[in-house]
Amino acid sequence: MGMFTESIEVARAANGMPLRVNWQGQDYRLVAEPQCWFERRKWWEENLRIPQGIGAGIADYEMWRLQLVAVSGSRQERTVDVSFDVQTGRWRLVRVHQALAQSA
Amino acid sequence: MSFTHLNVSSSYSAHYGVTPPRALAQAAKAQGAEMLALTDRDGLYGTVKHVAACMAEGLAPILGVNLAVLNSNGVILGRIVLLARGNCGGLGYAALCRAISLAHSTAHGVPGLSAEQLGQLGQSGNLMLLLGGESDVARAILKGNYAQARRLLAGWKKLAGKMLRVEITTHLSSPGSRYSLGEASRMLRYAYELNIKAVLSNAVRYVDPDGAMTADILDSARALHSLLNLDSCQPNGQGWLKTPHQMRQLASVIGQATERSWANQMLRETEAVAQWGVMNPVTDLGWKTPVIPEAKIIGLHRPAMQELTDRVYAAVPTLLRNEKPSLVEKQLALELGVIERLDFAGYFLTVAETVNLITDMGIRVAARGSGASSLVNYLLGISQVNPLAHDLVFERFLSDTRTTLPDIDIDVESARRHEIYHKIFSSFGEERVSLMSMQNAYRARGAVRDAGVALGVEQEQIDEIAKQLWRFSASSFREALTEKPELAELAERITDDTQLDILIDATERLDRLPRHISMHPCGVILSDASLLDRTPVQPSGIGLQMSQFDKHDMDLMGLIKLDVLGVRMQSAIAYTLEEIARMHPSKEQASRAGGHTNDSYIDASGKIDLAKVPLDDEPTFELIRSTHTLGCFQIESPGQRELVGKLAPREFNDLIIDISLFRPGPMQSNMVKPYLEHRHGFAPAQYLHPDLIPALAETHGVTVFHEQVLRILDVLTGCGLGMADVYRRLLGNPEKEPAVERYVRTEAVKNGFTPEVIDKVWEVLSGFGSFGFCKAHGAAFAVPTYHSAWLKAHHPEAFLAGIWEHDPGMYPKRLLVSEARRMGVPILPLDINRSTGHYRVERVFESAPAKLPMVPRAPSSLRPGRYGIRLAFRDIHQMSEREVQRLVAGQPYEHLADVRARAGLSRRTYQNLAALGVFDSLLSGTSRADTIAHTQSMAHSSLPAKYRPGPGQLALDLGQIEHIKATGTQLEPAEVVRTELDLMHLDASEHLMSSYRQRLSHLPMTQAAELLHLRNGTEVLVAGVRIATQTPPMRGGKRVVFISVDDGTGCIDATFFDDTQQRTGPLLFSTRMLLIHGVTRRTGPRGISLQALNAWDLHQPETLPVAGYLEEQSRPQISYRPKLGDEARKKESVSELAKRMEAEGLDQRGA
Repeated sequence: MGMFTESIEVARAANGMPLRVNWQGQDYRLVAEPQCWFERRKWWEENLRIPQGIGAGIADYEMWRLQLVAVSGSRQERTVDVSFDVQTGRWRLVRVHQALAQSA
Repeated sequence: MSFTHLNVSSSYSAHYGVTPPRALAQAAKAQGAEMLALTDRDGLYGTVKHVAACMAEGLAPILGVNLAVLNSNGVILGRIVLLARGNCGGLGYAALCRAISLAHSTAHGVPGLSAEQLGQLGQSGNLMLLLGGESDVARAILKGNYAQARRLLAGWKKLAGKMLRVEITTHLSSPGSRYSLGEASRMLRYAYELNIKAVLSNAVRYVDPDGAMTADILDSARALHSLLNLDSCQPNGQGWLKTPHQMRQLASVIGQATERSWANQMLRETEAVAQWGVMNPVTDLGWKTPVIPEAKIIGLHRPAMQELTDRVYAAVPTLLRNEKPSLVEKQLALELGVIERLDFAGYFLTVAETVNLITDMGIRVAARGSGASSLVNYLLGISQVNPLAHDLVFERFLSDTRTTLPDIDIDVESARRHEIYHKIFSSFGEERVSLMSMQNAYRARGAVRDAGVALGVEQEQIDEIAKQLWRFSASSFREALTEKPELAELAERITDDTQLDILIDATERLDRLPRHISMHPCGVILSDASLLDRTPVQPSGIGLQMSQFDKHDMDLMGLIKLDVLGVRMQSAIAYTLEEIARMHPSKEQASRAGGHTNDSYIDASGKIDLAKVPLDDEPTFELIRSTHTLGCFQIESPGQRELVGKLAPREFNDLIIDISLFRPGPMQSNMVKPYLEHRHGFAPAQYLHPDLIPALAETHGVTVFHEQVLRILDVLTGCGLGMADVYRRLLGNPEKEPAVERYVRTEAVKNGFTPEVIDKVWEVLSGFGSFGFCKAHGAAFAVPTYHSAWLKAHHPEAFLAGIWEHDPGMYPKRLLVSEARRMGVPILPLDINRSTGHYRVERVFESAPAKLPMVPRAPSSLRPGRYGIRLAFRDIHQMSEREVQRLVAGQPYEHLADVRARAGLSRRTYQNLAALGVFDSLLSGTSRADTIAHTQSMAHSSLPAKYRPGPGQLALDLGQIEHIKATGTQLEPAEVVRTELDLMHLDASEHLMSSYRQRLSHLPMTQAAELLHLRNGTEVLVAGVRIATQTPPMRGGKRVVFISVDDGTGCIDATFFDDTQQRTGPLLFSTRMLLIHGVTRRTGPRGISLQALNAWDLHQPETLPVAGYLEEQSRPQISYRPKLGDEARKKESVSELAKRMEAEGLDQRGA
């Protein structure tokens, strides 16, 4: 399993669930129900300020585990973890799960 | 379908919850909720606020508590939530209160209940147990002990049966951590396996995601670890008040994870439990229904109103002999009528009963506050002020327009306060009485400390910052940094240090959050035998039970509270009276000693009954006018001495006015100057309208008292004094004041007042706002003021002994040494055989040549110098109370060996006593220095216990077996003073300043005693020991700092304006010995103060100015003198000032 923080584009459905992904110029669709969790963030090490009212996304990251397959080309399934930063509105690719990717 | 949160912690879960109940209720309402629970940790601290907020928002309140589950050793196995059943006539609520009180009565002091106790509590069907993410079951799952988790859950089911619910919570944290989806779905599966109903919650700790960081800081503060080293912090920041929609989504995610269709069932059960728990405030909690003790407890054998009427009339002949009967009759008809219509007779009798209890104990007691306006209170013996004599207004205290019980506050001797509490508990019965609690919230210093620890800021750095924070709220931290000169250095560092920047944010987050509860300093709750069904209690610091409710909760919960306030001045007065009788044990002796022309108030044993002392004693007013009022109640502060000097009181009513004027409101809104001008006849009094003359004549047209506002409103509108008080309370309230204005204007026009008059009068009323003073309160305060001044004028030695003994004032004891010198009262040194545990008056035989004291004494009272005050053992550093008792019990001692053998002193105390010269009178041929050397070389202080004489045995007198070497060494005076300061915080033998004189010999110094003879505007250098620092709020936000120093010849009060504060920087608050450059400012015939221009620390000789400083061109000079009133008025309104005072806790006088 590799660790990245690479930019990635994720489009969400109305209920907030990821729907489509664009990664390295390639469109992907989801092949399984995505899983969501919120992972601890050590804001006291990473943040310079925590003024009152700064809002969500300081104490944790919104994480999604997505099983993807490219819309065109290779039919190989990939499992990736992406994080969403509420403060910046950006998605980052955090992990690519090699084991799953190879077994597929 | 809506969703109801059943597990919610508010900020009243100290060091855990983040959001106040009000904000939670508002948010829940906005989300469309219909019900909301509050389940704070360990108690119902936030319950009343929650219920009130729910009622305001139209939500149905649900009540519960989050309690620890303990094993028999007090180890916490987990936590569960208890919910109370609602709509059952209070059964559920009573069970909840009792359960919490039980949880706080554990022998080991850790609040909580055993699983068995919880099971039993469930039996009645009035409490529901929610077993959730903090339970032992969830803990076992987290550790992977699934079999154990199942077993534990089965055990709970056996204990609690149908009153058990499993509470499912997920914060969608990473797999394997607390509140993870896996944990939640496993809990749910086990619940179904065991056939236990499940509910959904979010274990809420903050209203929105923003609160997560605050919760982290609180977790750190609770665990006393930095966040970095914290192992039990929340898994993420998802514990907020999620919307019904989000909660339903979570339910379906959990349902999917368990691969069952359990989601809807769980949501339905949540709402069913919520319905079961909905409280009816009136029928369940007794909302706003006052409950007084049962008739038999207050000694009633007939209807309360009848009893009250009879008692009141019975007291008329003795207490109101000189009042006109028709006036008394009219007043009593008014008061008793109101009391009867409001059905408060029982309340008055309860208070009277309590006051009787206290007086029967021989303790001084006096009513304070608006209660003094009531003739009924006076006749019942609750108050010592005759309202008819001072023209007080009953309606300010109570009227038909008021629905809540009036406050009657009583002052008692502080030293005997706990004794009184115990007596009230035993007389009324433990089940009817409880102390009141108070919430202590985070202030700047505490907040910066805890935030600093959380962020891992170095301890030293935290200490340094905390030390600089001077009484402002943490929320204004950033503002303060830019404004206050003493923080300038810190502000600069923050721009360089990012860790400090985040520290400020963290500090601001903690601001105002409740930290812990403690015993309220004076509130006692009196009720009937149902009290413990209506409030949970926990042990207080003095062992007596304490309600979890604070003063704001009292009225709403129908709890009657009596403020029994310990006042040190009352103790000091009591002690003074005892000392007078001890030294002068007959009517004649006491009368002669005090120079009393009238001895009707002195009894045969020399005891004075102050209540009978006339309030027009000329020597007393002479003393007050001299401004030598140190030690006198309410009028000893620098500002008050200045005001007293200007006002020159001639009669008791002047004291009432003086006390009422000396408040930030009148001082800042420029009421004092016109009053003084009219009073002294410099300007004729002006009245806005002739009809207002009766109301305002006593203060020459200036509105000082609440009572005057009531009368003005009544004259203008004819609304009656009762309604007038209702309107007065709305003044200064931005939402409600406009309606009052409309009403006043309309009615005043109808009553024929011209628009010009109405405009002017309204300006006064509106400006008066919530300020001003209740005259009754002023009158109640003025009584001890007068009494203390009376005692100081007639019995200065005994009075001073009382002040030393009980330390009631604002000044450190060492200043009283200077005052004693000015009063011509010798301070007698500590002596092994003459000193005791108390400061006592002692006859002086080798009297020094009489010198006229600076502080005036009553003519024909004792000449100064004939009596002195013997220093007591009680204030010696590191000497325990037991040591004092043993030492005194063994008196007299013949020689040092005798002391060593019998007094049982620790070695250190023995050495300290030697250093202070306590043994000097036992010495022959050796000096104090020799004794000190001798005690330093001693191995052990006293004989081992088995060699000490037993009871009934006499010590074998071996003579002076300790051999002290005489060396002829003598101590330097400076050394003696140093020791006195170190060990007693006193410089009794010589003033502390003496040792600094040398250091200042190159400068033209002025002494305090000389200041009064200088012209206004003289430039001087003065030096002294800091004795007081005050920072009253000023309009416009510009702070003024008052610093008083003492140089041995007197007190110097210096005012530091903004520019000087900039110049002096941090030493303004942190330096003890000050050199001040300033300009004299005459404040009255007897008053002079300094406007400071610069200041230096005497401990830093290298920074002191050089000779010729006062001629230097570059020295600071007076550039401008800010006018405190007019110029600043535009910037800050009276109500803003009031708010800031409230926020900064600056008005400490009590309303």
